[in-house]
Amino acid sequence: MNTLLKCVQNFRFNVFKQTKHLSIYPALRVKEIQEKETNNELVISGKILESGREPYLLKNEHPEACPVCASGLQIKHTDVLILSQFMRSTGGMLPRRITGLCRRSQKYISSLVIMANKAGLMPHLKPANSHKDPKMRRGWKKYNKYFYESTIKIK
Amino acid sequence: MSQLKRVQQWATFARVWHIYDAAWQNPFQSAELLKKYLMGMHKPIYHPMNDCGDHVIVINTADVALPGDEWKKRVYFHHTGYPGGASWTLAWELHKKNPTMVMKKAVYNSMDRSLQRRYTMERLHLYPDANVPLNLLENVSNQIKQLRPKPKRLDEYKEEEVREFPKLIDLPKSYIVE
Ligand SMILES: [Zn+2]
Repeated sequence: MNTLLKCVQNFRFNVFKQTKHLSIYPALRVKEIQEKETNNELVISGKILESGREPYLLKNEHPEACPVCASGLQIKHTDVLILSQFMRSTGGMLPRRITGLCRRSQKYISSLVIMANKAGLMPHLKPANSHKDPKMRRGWKKYNKYFYESTIKIK
Repeated sequence: MSQLKRVQQWATFARVWHIYDAAWQNPFQSAELLKKYLMGMHKPIYHPMNDCGDHVIVINTADVALPGDEWKKRVYFHHTGYPGGASWTLAWELHKKNPTMVMKKAVYNSMDRSLQRRYTMERLHLYPDANVPLNLLENVSNQIKQLRPKPKRLDEYKEEEVREFPKLIDLPKSYIVE
């Protein structure tokens, strides 16, 4: 039993080491897209892309504050054009190390993202295997709903 | 009675037809608004004994919106009168059976209990979608303003509108596109 455990641990350690060698993408700290071509060989290549946001970026008048606090906006869950800037293509909220928000704003915006998703306001930002149309949901979830921002409890 | 006074009399006591779009509206807040038009409380000649209420056509009652998780929290009680005849129905179950019933009950319960209430309800015309009979629609002369704006979905905006909207943050260079 002991030898078996050791074997398993060794195996896990080896796998971990291997993956650590392979996972060069986050370590390089560049924005990349992986392209795979399979004509008898696999080619994985990285490419630096532009986000396309530079010309429309708001100037932060108070650089000591985070972008949301500095803008002074009262964001609601129906402001999907603002909320979609903080979201993945699968509908989730981006982590704080990418958004660069303060702890309070990050929690507030992620609550608004959840509200907007529940209200079905961003139906195409969803995982590929999910029902994109809110009317396809089960039970009470398919009917229209709205939320009060005052119900978000943050310190 | 002079010609002018006669026309003024007709105009005062004529029943006006209003239309209200219930899409994305709270039925209970809308009921407080609609009952004023149904009972004639918006008129200076209003009196409970004065039959001066207007007609209201409510469209898109299937698209009413409730706050939070009220669809599964609000319960409608009914009793048949027989022993064991009590039943409790959730709001979304009632709405699934009849998409106009939540709105109808909201307006009915918003009014005071009186003999006049059943006659007032006869002036409320509810439709689950926008298909209203033309003989009713041609009477309409006023639209009641919605209480809350209909939210616009992200996929209803044009692509350049989304792209050229002012951005609060830029993605860092370390972000990997999914
Ligand atoms: Zn902040």
